[in-house]
Amino acid sequence: MIRIFDITSKDLLQLLRDRKTFLFLLIMPIAFTVLFGFSFGAFNKVGTDLRLPVAFLDQDQSRISKSLHDQLAASEIIRLEEFRGATQTYLENQVASEKLAAAIIVPAGYSHEVLGGKSSKLILFTDTSSTAGMSVESETLSASIRLKNAVQTARIMVQMTANGGSFDYVYDKALSNWQDPPISVTETTASAIKQQDTRIQSLAHTSPGMMLQFAIAGLLTSAEIIVIERKSRCLQRLLTTATARVHILLGHYLAILTLIFCQFLLLISFGQLVLHVNYLSAPGATLLVAFCAAVCVAALGLLIGVLAKTQEQGNIFALILMFLLAGMGGSWVPLEVTGATFRSIGHLSPIAWAMDGFQNISIRGLGIESVVTPSAALLGYAMLFFALATWRFSRAELKP
Amino acid sequence: MKEKMINAIEVQNLHKSFGDIKAVQGVSFNVNQGEIFSLLGPNGAGKTTTISMLCCLLRPDEGDALIMGHSIRKDPNRVKAVLGVVPQDIALYEDLTARENLTFWGKMYGLRGSTLKARVIEVLEIIGLSDRANDRVGKFSGGMKRRVNIGVALLHKPQVIYMDEPTVGIDPQSRRSILDSVVDLKNHGMTVLYTTHYMEEAQELSNHIAIMDHGEMIACGTHQELVRIVGQMDRITLTIGSSAANEESDDILRAWKAVDGVRQVTSDDGAISLLADDSNQVLPSIFEAAATNGVRITSVDIKEPNLETVFLHLTGRALRD
Repeated sequence: MIRIFDITSKDLLQLLRDRKTFLFLLIMPIAFTVLFGFSFGAFNKVGTDLRLPVAFLDQDQSRISKSLHDQLAASEIIRLEEFRGATQTYLENQVASEKLAAAIIVPAGYSHEVLGGKSSKLILFTDTSSTAGMSVESETLSASIRLKNAVQTARIMVQMTANGGSFDYVYDKALSNWQDPPISVTETTASAIKQQDTRIQSLAHTSPGMMLQFAIAGLLTSAEIIVIERKSRCLQRLLTTATARVHILLGHYLAILTLIFCQFLLLISFGQLVLHVNYLSAPGATLLVAFCAAVCVAALGLLIGVLAKTQEQGNIFALILMFLLAGMGGSWVPLEVTGATFRSIGHLSPIAWAMDGFQNISIRGLGIESVVTPSAALLGYAMLFFALATWRFSRAELKP
Repeated sequence: MKEKMINAIEVQNLHKSFGDIKAVQGVSFNVNQGEIFSLLGPNGAGKTTTISMLCCLLRPDEGDALIMGHSIRKDPNRVKAVLGVVPQDIALYEDLTARENLTFWGKMYGLRGSTLKARVIEVLEIIGLSDRANDRVGKFSGGMKRRVNIGVALLHKPQVIYMDEPTVGIDPQSRRSILDSVVDLKNHGMTVLYTTHYMEEAQELSNHIAIMDHGEMIACGTHQELVRIVGQMDRITLTIGSSAANEESDDILRAWKAVDGVRQVTSDDGAISLLADDSNQVLPSIFEAAATNGVRITSVDIKEPNLETVFLHLTGRALRD
């Protein structure tokens, strides 16, 4: 039995001397996490205003048009930009060249029509087929309706009071009531899901995604050791000692497992401390998923090492599996944004289960009970891969 | 009182096939304790397959072998414990140092702690690499790698050591050093089973030699016993002009076979080998036959009977790489 650990420590010594190990296990996953993080906007400055830039040209210059400006300025969707003295054509060109998401023009006489209860029209330049255009249109419409309702309310109140109350007072009260509505709706998707910074959410996806992807890529160095051992006839020599085949296999397996688990621990620490991915919201659950994922990926590495006849073949197997399993398993794009069919197909990849486990913790804020199924699935895959590797290894007759 | 000699290796009717290829067919021989026993034969003769079965790497289809009394079929772990194996290939981890390799293999042979440490130092001295102990094996020359390859097999002081063509592909100086170390092993009481296709090595080292060809053992005995098979015949090697070799070789071979005193004639790539009772007596007739057939002899080499002659006599072919 002790020979298992002798083989493990020998393998680890070989792996740690190979520069490729650090490249695949640490440098590339960190680099790609940062790269994907950028592409998902994870590194935008905290103070950056992400609202849609919209020009506001007030040709009416009235109390009502100022109220409309104030309503829109308070929006969480649009950011007003002043263009004093600009022409309609100029603003239209700015929108056409996508420098602005939209331009709102309050024509002269707008307040007169609103106060008179007549049909009033704002001018809006935007691409209404785009999401941004639709958002601006909707937000502008809401603001103008609120404004009209406030005017109407104030007019009715003035007419109803015998001594003739102040229109301005009632109008201001009606408008301010919109800021504190009697009913507010908060949108959530599940009770356990916490609101999080979207930047952290994108990193909470890319961090485990790249970690798992490059754990598979790193198998090419681990599998290489098994292939070279066989090609250099060291394996045959090992079998002339009193070392059982299963001990040789377990020795190699433990080395790969140790390496991948250490890689996971380092990358999880990096994710937690540097990228602020909330792995430690349930430390026990994170450890369980990381361990089960390492058990699974290591068994896959063993299978590659046993199946590959040459180093080149081992490299190709590892890279194909990396692209296939990571792509299918949602390492690059969250499976949540794909259709139900692809989500089901994706879960044929063990990576999908590992991603589920990590994201249940870091994005959905769930506890250890949420990672039991993903962990069990990962262990199931590990048993399958290990059984296949053992079967192949025990059947291989070593010809002289 | 005469001490009874015990067989270190007893091979009984070993057979091994790979698909339709019969690699080893009914090989049997005994090796006494403390002797060097060589398996001699060309590449593909079945030497390595035989060794692979004897070190429990391959399971025989038929037959058995006892190594220090332990059956390779029934008790492979005990067999492995008394064995040291020097494989034909350099079976070492190139990214580990010589010391790390020896330490690892020592552990695989069951050595631990201070015993292992001391033995690694001893073996490094035996193979003459103490000063390069901390260098990676990948940086060593072929000869140095071969020495480490042998050193690994010595770590656990085995009673029997198998050496499978340990001098293949190395320079003459390293080869000499390895042959000397094989004799040293014998002098230290180890039993050595040595495979080679170099006749000179088998002749120089061995107490007994088994000649193998096409998976069969075709002769076995001491050097003298084997040479006696061909009697006192001389081996004459002739080289003839290339045009004659191509066009009229059949005629000249027939003519030489007809010469009185010539026992066997074989041709291989322009080199013609003759077994003759007495070279002095047959050479004039050989030259005369050549002249009659218009063949020009460009060189003549006469050798007294040796293992090459034996192989030629038994197989009709030269023992070559």
